[in-house]
Amino acid sequence: MTDRKTRGLVTRRDVVKAAGAGALAAGVGPAIFTSKARAQQKTLKILQWSHFVPGYDKWFDEVYTKQWGEKNGMQVQVDHISVTEVPARAAAEVAAQKGHDLFMFLDPPAHYESQTIDHTEIVQEVEKKHGKMLELAHKSTYNPKTKRYFGFSDSYVPDPGNYRKDLWDDVGVFPDSWEDVRVGGRKIKEKHGIPVGIGLSQELDTNMAMRAILWSFGGSEQDEHGNVTINSKQTIEALKFVRALYKETMTPEVFTWDPSSNNRMILAGKGSFVMNAISVTRTAEKQNPEMSEKIQIARAPKGPVRRIAAEHVMDVYVIWKFAENKEAAKKFLIDYIDNFREAFLASEFYNFPCFPKTVPDLVKLISNDPKAKPPDKYKVLADVTEWATNVGYPGYATAPIGEAFNTFVIPTMFAKVALEQMTPEEGAKTAERELKRIFAKWKS
Amino acid sequence: MEMETVGRDGVTARALRKGTARSLGDNDRWLGSLMIAPAIAYIAALVGLPFVLALYYSMSSATVGEQTLGFVGLSNFASILQSSIFRGALRNTFIFTIGSQVAVVVLANILARALRADFRGKWLVRFLILLPWVAPISLGTIGWKWIFDSIYSVINWTLQAVGLLEPGSWPMWLGEPKLAMISVILVHVWRMLPFATVVILAGLTSIPQEILDAAAVDGAGVLRRTFRIEMPLTLPIMIVALLFGVVFTFTDMTVIYVLTRGGPYDTTQVLASLAFFTGILGGDLAEGAAISLFLFPVLLAAAIALLKIARRAEVV
Repeated sequence: MTDRKTRGLVTRRDVVKAAGAGALAAGVGPAIFTSKARAQQKTLKILQWSHFVPGYDKWFDEVYTKQWGEKNGMQVQVDHISVTEVPARAAAEVAAQKGHDLFMFLDPPAHYESQTIDHTEIVQEVEKKHGKMLELAHKSTYNPKTKRYFGFSDSYVPDPGNYRKDLWDDVGVFPDSWEDVRVGGRKIKEKHGIPVGIGLSQELDTNMAMRAILWSFGGSEQDEHGNVTINSKQTIEALKFVRALYKETMTPEVFTWDPSSNNRMILAGKGSFVMNAISVTRTAEKQNPEMSEKIQIARAPKGPVRRIAAEHVMDVYVIWKFAENKEAAKKFLIDYIDNFREAFLASEFYNFPCFPKTVPDLVKLISNDPKAKPPDKYKVLADVTEWATNVGYPGYATAPIGEAFNTFVIPTMFAKVALEQMTPEEGAKTAERELKRIFAKWKS
Repeated sequence: MEMETVGRDGVTARALRKGTARSLGDNDRWLGSLMIAPAIAYIAALVGLPFVLALYYSMSSATVGEQTLGFVGLSNFASILQSSIFRGALRNTFIFTIGSQVAVVVLANILARALRADFRGKWLVRFLILLPWVAPISLGTIGWKWIFDSIYSVINWTLQAVGLLEPGSWPMWLGEPKLAMISVILVHVWRMLPFATVVILAGLTSIPQEILDAAAVDGAGVLRRTFRIEMPLTLPIMIVALLFGVVFTFTDMTVIYVLTRGGPYDTTQVLASLAFFTGILGGDLAEGAAISLFLFPVLLAAAIALLKIARRAEVV
């Protein structure tokens, strides 16, 4: 035995011993060394997406949260994840009953209501200071049945039209209505071979654009009371319109898209009109100044009934019931809204305030942006509160609405009709069956 | 100070303990159980427990936000059967699995035979073929996403450059239902092929040379040698590779999720991706679990049947 050891041979027993010692060290060691450090100062843990505007994250992580932490005697830890990871991460935190004190969703998380604190207190406190929150924020975070705010929304992202001014001027049409988009888009496609790019795929931008068309034609998934209303004359008209819009102005590429595809399309000079946040033009300003001048912003097109569009992204913070620092998290949100003007500027006008009074000079700011060409490019968003609404309009953003959103019931309905896999009547009926099934599940 | 206890025969307790530990360490049965215990614990914790939990979820009213689980029997299964999206996903799952596995088995057999031959740079070819298996699948699939991109598709550019695509013609690989299904199958085959090839190659190299020599002496040509000798002898291992491929494909959603997210209009939606959309993104954990477990009995039966066939085909 001694001989084997001196020769450097390892016995099975040695392996077992070494593995045991290693496992013990790995398991116990970190706990001993970190427990001391943890005890020293409380840490507020925040989880949110990696913002589209990197400058916002820099401001939030390195300036705002640091200052807030120093002022409140706390450490603030901000973790960033990509948009697509948010739902799975939330599910994991709830399953483990452990995680961050503040968790930011990018759509209304109504199905997590039983896991979040009632945020009414925060809403009341902020409204006392800054006035009423926007209706779209209220309907994205409030459950009228339980009379609780399951989340708190600081901001939303508008979803305007982004159009190639040079091409639209050339055909003498301005995309002010959906009918203009169809007529002008067809002319541009015929003359320049450049199509319109409204997604018909299973992704976020399609979800928003199809709802905008549906609502502007007077249709909706549900009414104010949460009853399924998709199978209506108005929906059928909207379906007929999208079928015509696709045939006359678009190409099959809209069925292939992910959320960044329409950005790429118009930035590459291969699209005449897309519905998107101002991420399109901000990217152009940084990467393609020449194209930046050509791409301009228009209000969401109006339909036969109204001008309306969904928010592109809805920021909703929640404080979990199992959060370790609930009080600090509440204070952070209230203080954050006090400083929202800075956030608005850091986001380069991407995040619009849910409490409009926090940015009293918003119109002045967006009317004269040195980065934009022309400087008043974003002025068109001044009346966004008149045409932006929540997912679930005219009702609330409830759990079944969330499931329908995330299983792409509406985009699928429009896509099938656009490709004539179904008649508009069949499309509306199929979507109704699916929505009723989803709504019934959540009711039970 | 602790006194050392001395036994009747003069052996100290410490020496006794040391002796016992040594004898246990040298006991194959005990040590074998100890060594395999972590693997069993790992499987029980990370596969067994979630599976039991998923079974219970599928018969409960679980949502991502609910900790209390009400028992609802089979109503989740009844609910998904009413859904046309589910029925479509079920059909797509079979098309995706059968399509990709048939291609994998055929191509892996060809590739394994090609790689068995001696040629210059063989190690490099083997390395390149194994690359899709060892590289992170999400990275590879994102690469494919660009290859199939609606604007920048390398395939389309190449076809157009060599004149195989008419001007104005630009196939939307992920935008037309049939092309989209072909695309996801193609990427999945690319992903699964290396593993199947290596498994079949291992089977081929294990065939005793004297059998092949005897066949050659008897005048067996390539086809006869392949179908009469090699195929039957490698059948058990091929079935194991096929079984792995089938189960893996039935339950995996990476390729679909990255490339099409189930589109266009649910024509590439499979059960695994639909379960994710419904359970995690949509919040209905119970229905998500029901969707993902729907095919479990079929898969279990298929696994048992294939393993039985493999056992019968084994040559002693």
